[in-house]
Amino acid sequence: MKRWAWLESPALLLALIALWWVATHGQWVSRVFVPTPEATWESLAQGLGLVPGGGDGAGALVDFSAATTGRMLAGWLLASALGVALGALIGASETARAWLQPSLEFIRPLPASAVMPLAISIFGLSGGMVLAVVAFGAMWPVLLATVHGLASVHPRLREVAQALQLSRGEIVWKIGLPNALPDILAGMRLSMTVSLIVSVVGEMIASQPGLGQAILLAARAFRASELFAGIALLGMIGFVSNAALAALERRLLRWQRP
Amino acid sequence: MLLEFDRVGIHLGGREILSPTSFAVGQGEFVCVIGPSGCGKTTLLRAATGFVAPSGGQVRRLGQVVQGPSRDVAFVFQDYGRALLPWRSVAQNVSLALEAARVPAAQRPARIEQVLHTVGLLPHADKYPAQLSGGMQQRVQIARCLAQQPQLLMMDEPFGALDAMTRESLQDELARLVREQGLTVMFVTHDLEEAIYLGDRVIALRTGPSAQRPSLAAMIDVPLPRPRNQLATKEDPEFLRLRRELYCYLGHD
Amino acid sequence: MISPPPERPAAAAPSRGRRQRPGEAGSAASGWERGRLGPARRLSRALAVPLLLLVILEAYTRTAGRDSDALAPPTQVLQALWRALADGSLLVGTGFTLGSAALGLLLGGGLGVLLGIALGLSARAARIGFLSIEVLRPMPSVALIPLAMLVYGFGLRMELAVVAFATFWPLLVLAQAATRQVEPQLLEVARALGLSPLQRICKIVLPAIVPRLFIALRLGVAIALVVAVTVEIAANPHGMGYAMSLAQQSLDPAGMLAWLLWIGVIGYGLNAGSMRLQRAVARRMEGQR
Repeated sequence: MKRWAWLESPALLLALIALWWVATHGQWVSRVFVPTPEATWESLAQGLGLVPGGGDGAGALVDFSAATTGRMLAGWLLASALGVALGALIGASETARAWLQPSLEFIRPLPASAVMPLAISIFGLSGGMVLAVVAFGAMWPVLLATVHGLASVHPRLREVAQALQLSRGEIVWKIGLPNALPDILAGMRLSMTVSLIVSVVGEMIASQPGLGQAILLAARAFRASELFAGIALLGMIGFVSNAALAALERRLLRWQRP
Repeated sequence: MLLEFDRVGIHLGGREILSPTSFAVGQGEFVCVIGPSGCGKTTLLRAATGFVAPSGGQVRRLGQVVQGPSRDVAFVFQDYGRALLPWRSVAQNVSLALEAARVPAAQRPARIEQVLHTVGLLPHADKYPAQLSGGMQQRVQIARCLAQQPQLLMMDEPFGALDAMTRESLQDELARLVREQGLTVMFVTHDLEEAIYLGDRVIALRTGPSAQRPSLAAMIDVPLPRPRNQLATKEDPEFLRLRRELYCYLGHD
Repeated sequence: MISPPPERPAAAAPSRGRRQRPGEAGSAASGWERGRLGPARRLSRALAVPLLLLVILEAYTRTAGRDSDALAPPTQVLQALWRALADGSLLVGTGFTLGSAALGLLLGGGLGVLLGIALGLSARAARIGFLSIEVLRPMPSVALIPLAMLVYGFGLRMELAVVAFATFWPLLVLAQAATRQVEPQLLEVARALGLSPLQRICKIVLPAIVPRLFIALRLGVAIALVVAVTVEIAANPHGMGYAMSLAQQSLDPAGMLAWLLWIGVIGYGLNAGSMRLQRAVARRMEGQR
């Protein structure tokens, strides 16, 4: 009995897919809204160029995915770099932290997409605008994590730094930032999620090529199977990026687990 | 005189913890400071290192007033786990002291190796602190302090958090190290036997000082021969006599 | 041999708000041992940098940046905000956004908590559901905006649906984790007393996880607001996000910034409020223990 236990989880997943199949074929839900599983798969395969045919839409999903992923990664890298740099500057100085912390606490709950209209009026409807908003929105988890990580250095380590007469820069670089690394990595994972979301929203609003725009257009044209195919791809991008980051985190934090 | 305490007094939270106390530590001496909780022995050590300024009086090192920490004074903390960088290996932790002293990168590996060999941790050079036992972690801290090549070694109950067996072996290792390198040590502990076993001189402090009973209760030389032995020395009549004499100063008077 | 507890020198223990001890200058502790500032001083320090930036913005937009479509003098922004309040649009917009966020959180978060508790109580159920959850969870909620649009058109239901999806997963994960951390002995006591599953949940599990649930609620509230505003900016022509978007498209920078400021205030207020609630609950629960 125990031997087959590992099959239970995939079994549920398959059962859900079967339910989906029955629901669409049995007209429990309209196919306008929810496509059949096989139609979704067909759109996915055609869009990814896996099967021949599909006309001029063939392989389009590959380009869209690449565009969205590229935007997400670029924004995320920029956000992480800015977040760590600014976070280190603010976190390294007691006075800076005291004066700026309340303002940071105010900005933190602000939705990243809320600054998009402002960004549009400054940058216009462009890929650069989306990138700017992505970087801005995704920066905060990393920045706040860096500030917090630097502030949470144990007093004993501070005294060790004093006893060894480390310079201010050395304290930040050799003690503060490594101490903050677990927090920073967690912040970067959160950043990646924000980055994907804002990229997609940005594509929708600013009509930039990518999966966001693709699924919006598919919905407007009532092409449900393409919509679902795009959603599935976005889910995969989210999953893979998160898993990759989690693996990187485990590698970098080996010293935590003896 | 390497270290001079000139009427050093300490006030904390409005109360006088340490009444003005004066004594001196000579080059190559091993001075142990004992006393019950709250007598100010750790704060005295920290004042001598420069982490705090005394409320009254001065601490002078080689004639200069101590105004802040210096690389010439190495401090060994009791909570060794917190004093090591968990993301660095043993060798890299020791390296921190050399980096701080701007030792050229080319010279570092040799010095690290030497210091790790002295404390017997060379086989574990690439391990992380989380992989080491308490005693080994404390030895890493001592190794890092030795890498500073300090004039003075200040130790704040370094073996207090360890089990008895580890403590004894580290005591002997420390005694050997100090003898080989000719270090000057100020060692704070609440363990009377440890103080007598390790020290050339034992200073006993009182809690709640007053005008008639100042903090400095006793300062006694320990004329026991070196090298000392956990069994033989502790059976020596002189050891027992010192123990009896100092026992009353641990809050029993 | 048990040694007596080591002496704890005050200088080694970090303490906030302790009066500055004599001779503490230059010590490692001086950073956070600075004396506690009065609330008035703390407030003025918090506002100093923002006020300075606002003054600079005011000066800039009244001179060099006069014709900007993006920036407006803060005084005009406040006027626009006041106007929106006066003509009711502020309340209508805020009400819609908060309403859809709340309903979505209730639906999605509520279901998430229930399912999370169920999965936390039954390790087998958690194992079975693992793959399905891991496949569905990474889907970004914004990807469902076009789907919701397709099914519901525009309006309350569409936004509510996306918020529900977005809040379902984090609350499921947190509720599951909280339930798994309930003292196993408590559950054994429940079994020994012969409590029915429903009684077990109501009398033992729920009270035990309440503090963690309020922490999860805080997160849920934040996510609900963010997602609601995002849906409005992206598609739904209702609520605060849409009002801000509309102002931007009408080349009304004062109006746009007014809404942006208001959204920030609402977000901050919700966060502060839910944090206070969560802390009060935590204190109450600790007191009972």
